[in-house]
Amino acid sequence: MTALLQVRNLSTYFHTQDGVVKAVDGVYYEVAKGETIALVGESGCGKTVSALSILRLIPEPPGKIVSGEVLFEGTDLLKLSQEEMRKVRGAEIAMIFQEPMTSLNPVLTIGRQISEALELHQQMTKQDAYKEALRLLELVGIPQAERRARDYPHQFSGGMRQRVMIAMAISCRPKLLIADEPTTAVDVTIQAQLLELVRGITRELGTSLILITHNLGVVARYARRVYVMYAGRIVEHGTAQAVYHDPQHPYTVGLLSSVPRLDEPRKTHLSTIEGQPPDLIFPPSGCPFHPRCAYAIPKCSKDRPELMEVEPAHYSACWVALQKPTPWKKIS
Amino acid sequence: MEKNILIEVKDLTKYFPITSGLIFQRIVAHVKAVDGVTFSIGKGETLGLVGESGCGKTTVGKCILQLYRPTSGSILFEDKDLCTLSENELRPLRQKLQVIFQDPYESLNPRFTAADIIGEPLRIHGTATGKAYRERVAELLDIVGLAPYMAERYPHEFSGGQRQRLGIARALALQPSFIVCDEPISALDVSIQAQIINLLGTLQDKFGIAYLFISHDLSVVRHISDRVAVMYLGKIMEISDRTELYKSPLHPYTQVLLSAVPIPDPEVEAQHVPIVLKGEVPTPINPPSGCVFHPRCPKAFEPCPTVIPALRDAGGGHQVACLLYSTSWP
Repeated sequence: MTALLQVRNLSTYFHTQDGVVKAVDGVYYEVAKGETIALVGESGCGKTVSALSILRLIPEPPGKIVSGEVLFEGTDLLKLSQEEMRKVRGAEIAMIFQEPMTSLNPVLTIGRQISEALELHQQMTKQDAYKEALRLLELVGIPQAERRARDYPHQFSGGMRQRVMIAMAISCRPKLLIADEPTTAVDVTIQAQLLELVRGITRELGTSLILITHNLGVVARYARRVYVMYAGRIVEHGTAQAVYHDPQHPYTVGLLSSVPRLDEPRKTHLSTIEGQPPDLIFPPSGCPFHPRCAYAIPKCSKDRPELMEVEPAHYSACWVALQKPTPWKKIS
Repeated sequence: MEKNILIEVKDLTKYFPITSGLIFQRIVAHVKAVDGVTFSIGKGETLGLVGESGCGKTTVGKCILQLYRPTSGSILFEDKDLCTLSENELRPLRQKLQVIFQDPYESLNPRFTAADIIGEPLRIHGTATGKAYRERVAELLDIVGLAPYMAERYPHEFSGGQRQRLGIARALALQPSFIVCDEPISALDVSIQAQIINLLGTLQDKFGIAYLFISHDLSVVRHISDRVAVMYLGKIMEISDRTELYKSPLHPYTQVLLSAVPIPDPEVEAQHVPIVLKGEVPTPINPPSGCVFHPRCPKAFEPCPTVIPALRDAGGGHQVACLLYSTSWP
């Protein structure tokens, strides 16, 4: 499989009054054609910032992409002019945001918002674009599309607004779709509806998908490969199978065992990851996870581990993972 | 009232009026947020209340606390019906009934220090002053796992998980026998959620507090609850012992909810085909006739649009409001 997108050594910093926040700090990932990958991690770990960096939507100042390459079909997006970048956004790479209420324009009708992108990117006439917008609204399952296209965003429910976002994102048949916590703001039954819809559309159009989420269940259901982020870095990646069944980073081990599972006997006590996520202005020395890590060795506080291939096609940024068998294996 | 029962909610109804007109306001309709809900909570027990947003879970919690005055029904606590008491009569009882809110960013006064926040209930009810007050505040900080030096900090200096601990300490201050936990972990990160769930469990064991645990996360509710009630459009669809409800859910809505929860295991998920519901939750202003779930129900049959199913026992305390399980209907 050939990579559609390769992110290499990407670093995005924010310059604030309190210091430099290293939101994304040397991140690598890649997506093949038609593949779904997941970026998993807790709030503030840099998932969203890395995705916004791909589209160069980082507000500058205070943010700045300080290093790295974002190769999309071989072209480094970070080297494009603003004019060229605008042709990529929406047309080649589209994004579905978490909160549909704040990402839709409240003073334009839904039909107009979708047809606008089609006129700009696909040079359609006004009438054709509007017709296509209606078709898209039907495709994403909005009942009475013709009537609803004349409505404004506030007249839609949360789930329906997210459908509109999906319609808008796929309108120009992008090659890559980035879904940033697409279902965090909606209920479980609506979450299932939306994710099944996205899965159906990406399969039909052969679109690649980057799914950004903190929900480990959603990842297991939809992603083929997983990247786990912590404190602005990728700490583990591999196939979903490998990461869930044989995690190679203590942070992943902790995450997986801290969520109660419906298919397993109920535990009396949940295992937890002690402490708080680190301060990204003054990150801990060495491995950023070592202050919370139950398996840390002296080396962890001194040298920062890079991603290493600890199992075939399974990478981990952890010194302890080099020991075989890994110490957490005995417990689980 | 039975001996082990702490709170008994009977036929609780809360309608919110919708008004129209600027000067001559008139009521044009009602939002039927809670519509005839009956359940009880035992001493030291956790009742999980699950359902989607807008189903009335939070309203039930607020009605029990009398933050909303119910439209009708009764709530028995310590042999008194809370709904009939005046504000003055309620005040001493409020010490026993506390609440933890969902959003730890909005539920703490930003101009109070941590010690002020935790101590506020003590000051209001005058339960402790001077040295006893300071000692109680220090003790509460310790109980919820916060360090003594944090007492003089302001809310913005705490992380989300620590703020939720402050909220818990405040709820504990007056030694309540009952706490409404309204989505207490949904605003927190995954690794922090487990810390707070464990803390709530430990506190219950230590002080014998009963919880009404309101949440939309079915995995968490199974972990923390003794019994679970499922709500939909202001009504209870099913209520049962935890093990029973998750092992053999009876109501089609409960079955759909459980099927929609993704399991964090790719192998399990590869085998699993979720039941995907059509459509969205109807408006509680004009709920469907008969069983409120019938327009979306995969198992609906001919009497469902006309007959309102009562919540009835299907054996062993497992109650369900569904015509599939009743032998006759009028």
